[in-house]
Amino acid sequence: MTGTDRFSGQFRTDHPYLTAFALLEFVFLVLPSLIILVVSLGASQIITFPPTEFTLKWYVSLLDQPQYVEPFLNSVLVATFCTVISIPIGVSTALGLNRYDIRFEHGLQIYLLLPFTVPLVVSGFILLILFGRLGWIGDLWAVGLALTIINIPFMIWSVASSVNALDRSLENAARSLGADQLQTFLHVTLPSLMPGVISGSFLMFMLALNEFLVSLIITTNATETLPVAIYGAIRGNISPQIAAVSSIYVVVAILAIVAADRLVGLERFLHA
Amino acid sequence: MSIREAVQETRVRLQWQVMDALIAVKERLPVDFTALSNRFGYALIVPGVALVSFLAVGMGLLAWYSVLTYDSIDIFVYQYTLENWQRLVETTAFHSVFVRTVTYSAAVTVGCVALSIPYAYLIVRTERALFRNFLLFGLFVPFFSGVIIRVYGWLIILGKDGLLNWGLGALGLGRVDIIGTPVAVFVGLLQYLLPFAVLLVTPAIASIDADLERAAKNCGATQWETFRHVVLPLARPGITAATIVVFTISMANFSIPDLLGGGTNAFVANFIFNKIFDTLNYPFAAVLSLVLVAVASLFVLGVFKIYGTGTLGMEVEDA
Repeated sequence: MTGTDRFSGQFRTDHPYLTAFALLEFVFLVLPSLIILVVSLGASQIITFPPTEFTLKWYVSLLDQPQYVEPFLNSVLVATFCTVISIPIGVSTALGLNRYDIRFEHGLQIYLLLPFTVPLVVSGFILLILFGRLGWIGDLWAVGLALTIINIPFMIWSVASSVNALDRSLENAARSLGADQLQTFLHVTLPSLMPGVISGSFLMFMLALNEFLVSLIITTNATETLPVAIYGAIRGNISPQIAAVSSIYVVVAILAIVAADRLVGLERFLHA
Repeated sequence: MSIREAVQETRVRLQWQVMDALIAVKERLPVDFTALSNRFGYALIVPGVALVSFLAVGMGLLAWYSVLTYDSIDIFVYQYTLENWQRLVETTAFHSVFVRTVTYSAAVTVGCVALSIPYAYLIVRTERALFRNFLLFGLFVPFFSGVIIRVYGWLIILGKDGLLNWGLGALGLGRVDIIGTPVAVFVGLLQYLLPFAVLLVTPAIASIDADLERAAKNCGATQWETFRHVVLPLARPGITAATIVVFTISMANFSIPDLLGGGTNAFVANFIFNKIFDTLNYPFAAVLSLVLVAVASLFVLGVFKIYGTGTLGMEVEDA
């Protein structure tokens, strides 16, 4: 059996029409992202099809463009901030809710879903007012805090699924072998929660890196994040230079998927 | 003893010393850890609850702003009025924006749910690992590349000199100008929300016992009948979840109508955004925000009433 045979064999199924249909959907899903990669390599000043010559000059030209470099750094900082503070919050909330007998537990769970039920434009407006009153507008950490607020349910869910999957007898075994509570927590509980923490962190980081609407509402010139900068640029024109900036996101998305597949397996995200 | 072993030993000793010190500190804290009272559980959830409270407090703030008086210079003055709510009834421009948002969202929801079922079904049922990864790749690339990037992709595809017109031209079919039409907004929203729908429908299909489908086929059901009478009813919790999530996200979308709608297909979110930044009318924007939240919540409640919550809602917690 040759390589190509084996490859096409992967697509032969007992659902031929369904498979063909799903392949069309696949194209529909990935085309807008992948077209950006293609266009960013085109040599001409305006985007034309088909691109005749290929070049990396747009990528090189980005390095001395502060209007993209600074937002890029802002975005990375904000996403890192978001991930780092959401880990302890997610772990303690998930443990508290699932391990302790808490009154109104059901109500609290619904309350913690509030960031998902409030539309983003409303969340952005609320945070604009609140942060404005607190004098936080213009601080980069406040942008990080805002994105943590709107995405924290992802982290809590993700860790909660690990808490529920954790076998309590492991902790009991550690305790009866003489480990202190602290040792049990650090050497048994935390490591077992790692899959949830990793997939939660991954989601928090990627979503913060991509977040647009709340950032658009609460950022100023100094705290502008990359999606906001790209938005500003595409409203003007759609030159290949913007395609080069945007393709960073496509490449990061592809790398992140490969990394997530290696670390925890992509299927995990189907349940979280 | 080699250097390596010595280093190793020092490290272990240090680790133990740190741990002993931590335990000693813990013992001195005036907290009774052995009982691990439920009060400790409450302490654990405080940071998460505090974080979410920003939004809860903000909703209260919006309710307050909604009865303050708008002032074109000071944004608002602290004088109570029902004028803003009255404006909601009188502003016909908002009514048409609202109707547009609901109808487009309804269409997009039907489209997304319909398209998500075959995709999710194949992710679950295909026996070929490579093909499954291929489908997952198609799901996660758009999911993780963000809405602005995808809208930009659609601008390149559907634009005047875009991929579509080049393709049509090559086939000798003339040109189309889609950007700025409802079609562009619909296509953009469909592609934006399809991954969400697939992610929610997949677990429901995964929980269907494949033997049930085989049994149906053994009893003489065709592929379609099996799908119609076995898969579809059993996938209902996932379909309900997808309906709710897709519709509510679509209702609140800003960037797709803004960039693909060409300024003539504004959604509620665009309308609110303009009130906040163009006219700085915070009180009226607060009224509109409350309406958007209320409509989204009513929709969720309504769907639950019709379809029942079932295993939904907290299902993710137990996954």
